[in-house]
Amino acid sequence: MRDGDLTTDQFAQLESPQRLMEREWAPCRYHCPVHADVRAYVELTAMGRFKEAADVVREGLPFASVCGRICHHPCEANCRRCDVDEAVAIREIKRFVCELAGVDATVRKAAVQEKAKVAIVGAGPAGMAAGLELARWGYRPTIFEKFPVAGGIPATAIPTYRLPRDVLAQDTDWILAHGVEFVGNCEIGKDKTITDLKAEGFAAVLIATGLAKSRMLPLPGADNKRVLGVLDFLTDTCFGRTPDIGRNVLVVGGGNVAMDAARTARRLGAQVTVMCLENEEEMPAWDWERDEAEEEGVKFVFRRGPVEVLTDGDNIVGIKTRKVTRVFDEAGKFDPQYDDSDLQDMPCDTVIMAIGQMADMGFVEGSGLSTDERGHLAYNPATHQTSQAGVFACGEIVTSPGSAVEACASGQRAASAIDLFLSGKAISIDDNLPPYIDKIAEQTAEKVLKVKRYGVVAEDPAKRVTNFDEVDHNFEEMIAMAEARRCMSCGGGAEVLVDKCAACLTCLRVCPFDIPKVTDVARIESSLCQACGMCIAECPANAIVARSWSVEQDIADARAKIAGMGGERKIVAFICGHHAPAAAWTGQLSDAIAGVAEIYMPSVSRLSAAQVLHALEDGATGVMVVACNEGADRYPTAPTRVAKRVAQVRGLLDEIGISPEKVQFITEADQGRAAMRNAMAAAADRIEGKSEAAAES
Amino acid sequence: MIVAERKPMDEILEMLAGRKKVLVLGCGGCVTVCLTGGERQAEMLASQLKLAAAASGRKLQVDFDCITRQCEKEFFDNLSKFPADYDAVLSIACGAGVGYMSEQFPGTPILPGMNTTFLASNVAKGIWEEYCRGCGDCMLAWTGGICPIAKCSKSLVNGTCGGTDKGKCEVNPDMDCGWLLIYKRLESLGRLDEYRKMRPLRDHRKDRGNGIRRLVLAEMTEEESDNEQ
Repeated sequence: MRDGDLTTDQFAQLESPQRLMEREWAPCRYHCPVHADVRAYVELTAMGRFKEAADVVREGLPFASVCGRICHHPCEANCRRCDVDEAVAIREIKRFVCELAGVDATVRKAAVQEKAKVAIVGAGPAGMAAGLELARWGYRPTIFEKFPVAGGIPATAIPTYRLPRDVLAQDTDWILAHGVEFVGNCEIGKDKTITDLKAEGFAAVLIATGLAKSRMLPLPGADNKRVLGVLDFLTDTCFGRTPDIGRNVLVVGGGNVAMDAARTARRLGAQVTVMCLENEEEMPAWDWERDEAEEEGVKFVFRRGPVEVLTDGDNIVGIKTRKVTRVFDEAGKFDPQYDDSDLQDMPCDTVIMAIGQMADMGFVEGSGLSTDERGHLAYNPATHQTSQAGVFACGEIVTSPGSAVEACASGQRAASAIDLFLSGKAISIDDNLPPYIDKIAEQTAEKVLKVKRYGVVAEDPAKRVTNFDEVDHNFEEMIAMAEARRCMSCGGGAEVLVDKCAACLTCLRVCPFDIPKVTDVARIESSLCQACGMCIAECPANAIVARSWSVEQDIADARAKIAGMGGERKIVAFICGHHAPAAAWTGQLSDAIAGVAEIYMPSVSRLSAAQVLHALEDGATGVMVVACNEGADRYPTAPTRVAKRVAQVRGLLDEIGISPEKVQFITEADQGRAAMRNAMAAAADRIEGKSEAAAES
Repeated sequence: MIVAERKPMDEILEMLAGRKKVLVLGCGGCVTVCLTGGERQAEMLASQLKLAAAASGRKLQVDFDCITRQCEKEFFDNLSKFPADYDAVLSIACGAGVGYMSEQFPGTPILPGMNTTFLASNVAKGIWEEYCRGCGDCMLAWTGGICPIAKCSKSLVNGTCGGTDKGKCEVNPDMDCGWLLIYKRLESLGRLDEYRKMRPLRDHRKDRGNGIRRLVLAEMTEEESDNEQ
């Protein structure tokens, strides 16, 4: 026995096999700031169970639809498929399922919401995420927001071509539906103070105001009205107040917000140049943001810093720049150095400062909260507590600038701190996570079927710059499913019950990926297993179980289907669903063959001979196994091996005087619905002893 | 390892005639490894018996279970289903398991679902071949590691006989002549001198000529009576 070995008894005590997946996480989940169960929702998408997929996303990620559009997707950066071909397009899959579910996403409210009132300042991702958690636990959160709408930066600054507001509303409405109260147009520190909130009976206050002010540079000439802070510019645009810009806009800064500003200015009809201190490699904007900006005609000037805004009377005529010799010091710290002998004037009539955001500390007014020597809110990162008891902080105001999903994670953690505080417990939060599965080994990666990543279709750049409509189009259903089927189901594969294993080597002999090793018992490295189920179906000792599905459940599901069929004919079709549409997976097909229950699986590789016998035992009048052709199945050798299992079952039936024709094997699962249905109809006739010629007439 | 193959179904059905409640019992030892008598095979045989009974309109309850080895009584404690609760147990262990269980569960018929065939090695995926006959007097050291008892159809200790024909055996022309294999192996090892030596005649008392064979390890036995039976 080794540490972590699983025995039959331990397995039997698990509430479900899926508990085993908590032992180690797929890296997509581990690296997701809110640890959304990515593998699970991608798998549900692959099965056409979109609503359930959306619910899994929302279980961990309140800004699900928003993140489907704008997330920086560390899940994809860490996707193990990167070492096979390309990462699974997780963000696009999330977008597809969440926007499809839309406002119908399941709301799981607390049974009773009678716990303490909590005031949250700021309705951005951090504050909203905290509010949602608290409401789910029975607290009564109220979110105060200076803008009239909920959503924070996604509502007030992210351009609508990246994030349409109906998409944002899916998230904010869903969150509020959990019993989170929203009070808009109420700026804490101005309209009301934190002290007022306490007096109103809020037992705790959470500051989640984010970074709401643009950083500016004290350059000569920077007081011109056409030197704009990036947030003011973006917010004005978001609220339909056309900002006063000229025809020739210079955006100072190289981050993602600078890209938003540049692309927004293009849409307002200006020629736009982005100037930044960094070079192409150093600039912090995501590659795809810069690429899309370039496609839209935004020009880039690298390694130059602003010196002075050049004016002629009230008008800006240009900006004086100097060469940047380096941006970061040897330790990688931001420390730009300049060559003042290399000066250049760049013509422009508008300057947008997109060099970063800073906190608006207005809420401190009348609160008695302490700030540190740099003016930052004093705060304990372990407990989220500020200098005042019962006042907490989370999100970008206390963390470094980050993405929406990171803000959500911070808000969720703060909600835990508040819960502990209000429960009278010590605020001690366990941040430990299970380990994550290592990179896929090269020799295994070679054996995985290569499937090209599906890209989203982007709108034509020439058309893009004429409006604020969305740039990237959503996946279509079959594309979303096909992309989801690229997921390798990391960590969802085989687990050996060590007490049952006879070290017979069968797993090693049938694995298409050469993963099992047999030492004392079979050892199946979870970091390599592709979850095809081949070993599970073949193990003579029933000593291998799956982490992400249950054979017993599969048998019970087939039994239920059989029991549910009226009439004489009760045929079960086990079908490889790798090429099947959602309607097939979810039983919504309109052309189902009477008396044939269709059961879809990711591949028939996991279907054992015993399961076929069980279906007959449970009353099926016949079974057909509908595989793909070799090469079309996601797992090499699966159709060939399953054909042998079927042949074995046919032999066993023959022995007991039952016609082997009761079990049929066909390989049309990848041939399109019409061909597959015809083949199934013919197989059903063979099961019933009708000749095909007779059936046709 | 011991290889056993499932008996023909007719024979099994004949054994079970008239029984109403049967336990199919797999063995987690050799027969699991040769994929004929493990828990999975017990599960499938149980299904088959139920299907057969249903097809002929008989009422038959069939359950299945499996333990680590049927040839060791300590493992009987791990049974999740109890032989006494059944009209019969259909064991798909080797004969040792069936026989031993019959002795240990005298009140319940323990029926053999298998024919125990040979001591084998796995030579390819799904193929097991006889390598040892359990003769009790191993002479592999002198035959280049090829067993004349197992590989010669006549089990000669001084071969070849006159029946070898182009390397094949006169008893079964599909079978290689074991002694020709031995000759070639010894030749390749440069040890044909071993081939030329006359080996003593077999002592059949070490095989089956002297009654039931037992292995008694004094260092493990606890009571005098253990080895005095």
